Amino acid sequence: MASVAARSFVFRQQMNTRRFDFASCLKIKSFYSSYSANPKEKSPENYTQYHEVSSDNWKFVERLKPPTVVPSFPKNGSCFSDWTPPPDTPPNLPYFVKRTKNFMVPVYLNFEAVRNQRKITMVKHIEGDIWALEKAIKSHLEEVTKRQVVSQVHEVAMYIKFRGDYVLHVKKWLLNAGF
Amino acid sequence: MILSLYGAWQKNCGGAFPPKFKAPRQVWVSNMDTVEEEKLGLIDLHPEVFAERPRVDIIHENVRWQQLYRHVSYANTKMRYEVRGGGKKPRQQKGSGRSRHGSIRSPIWRGGGIVHGPRSPTPYFYMLGFNTRLNGLRSTLSAKLAQDDLHIVDSLDIPTDDPSYLEKLVEERGWGPAVLFVDDNDIMPLNITAASDSHGHYNLMPVYGLNVYSMLKHHTLVLTLAAVERLEERLLFHLNRNDAASAGQKYRLDSV
Repeated sequence: MASVAARSFVFRQQMNTRRFDFASCLKIKSFYSSYSANPKEKSPENYTQYHEVSSDNWKFVERLKPPTVVPSFPKNGSCFSDWTPPPDTPPNLPYFVKRTKNFMVPVYLNFEAVRNQRKITMVKHIEGDIWALEKAIKSHLEEVTKRQVVSQVHEVAMYIKFRGDYVLHVKKWLLNAGF
Repeated sequence: MILSLYGAWQKNCGGAFPPKFKAPRQVWVSNMDTVEEEKLGLIDLHPEVFAERPRVDIIHENVRWQQLYRHVSYANTKMRYEVRGGGKKPRQQKGSGRSRHGSIRSPIWRGGGIVHGPRSPTPYFYMLGFNTRLNGLRSTLSAKLAQDDLHIVDSLDIPTDDPSYLEKLVEERGWGPAVLFVDDNDIMPLNITAASDSHGHYNLMPVYGLNVYSMLKHHTLVLTLAAVERLEERLLFHLNRNDAASAGQKYRLDSV
């Protein structure tokens, strides 16, 4: 602050013919075209103080950053949401539906716009006999909703799509089946 | 001796470790010291990386991308304002009995400009999605292993720098005409560098350069133990990360 005031005082002395207001004289930062015209760096007491802290304090910064890899879930204790952890042993079935990397059941609701928006329930991460899984889920959905359910089995990408919003039904069925 | 990479899997897997319902694939580890193959031990390969269902469409997308993203077309045609001449109206608008024209280089004229022709230079750069590239690597590695074209060696140290040593070794073991040797380090041992230098079909590559096109171009893929560890660690990290969208942010063409 002292340097700025000193500079503005010199400026006033040089230009005593014209009157300037305080704001125009207060130049905090100037960009000079040559090195020699630039004001040189002053001794440290002219600038704001700082002090170094221990590098152990970095842990306070690190714990604020979100983890990039999802950590494993705690083995004991119940969750207050209706999320259940994946079981340790697979069920004895010819197919398997793997959980996602965030330990969620891989059932999604898509909106596929075919003139009118069509709701599609999609089951992903399927391994094994996909046709048997499709038959099992379809018969369950038809029993629950008491209407015909249209489905698509994609053998290459290993997913099943059901026409309609049956996400909760399918998720419940998968959790009961032990996936 | 059974070598294990469980440490690397555990560090990076989260939900994928241990691979519960897909059995790890066991592969022999060979040596490069002698022409004849000596089996040094067994190793477990993570099924999420090496035992995926190979998606041929994803492999095709990766190959197409690798060939196309750096392609620049230099074909050029001139438009009507670039063709020499054609500034003057050929004849007056009315009175001659002939059709009316403004310029002799308009696209309907012979020798005129081309309207929608190629314009040089045209880049064909695009970035394939993060997961498509990741799954391309997984599919190709799985296909290579399933088709018996993937071999693991302890290291790439060979006793001589004679090119014929490599020829005899590859011939003896039934490895394909073209072999891709992959190591973790990008500075390879001197002997194998000298031996493979004269052969265009024996290529050395660090793990960070591994790509679908090269793996398909070479018949056999030979990985060192260090390369396998690094590869699994990186691929499993990418499979389990939640911030993959930020990785592709800088390549988005429609955003600044």
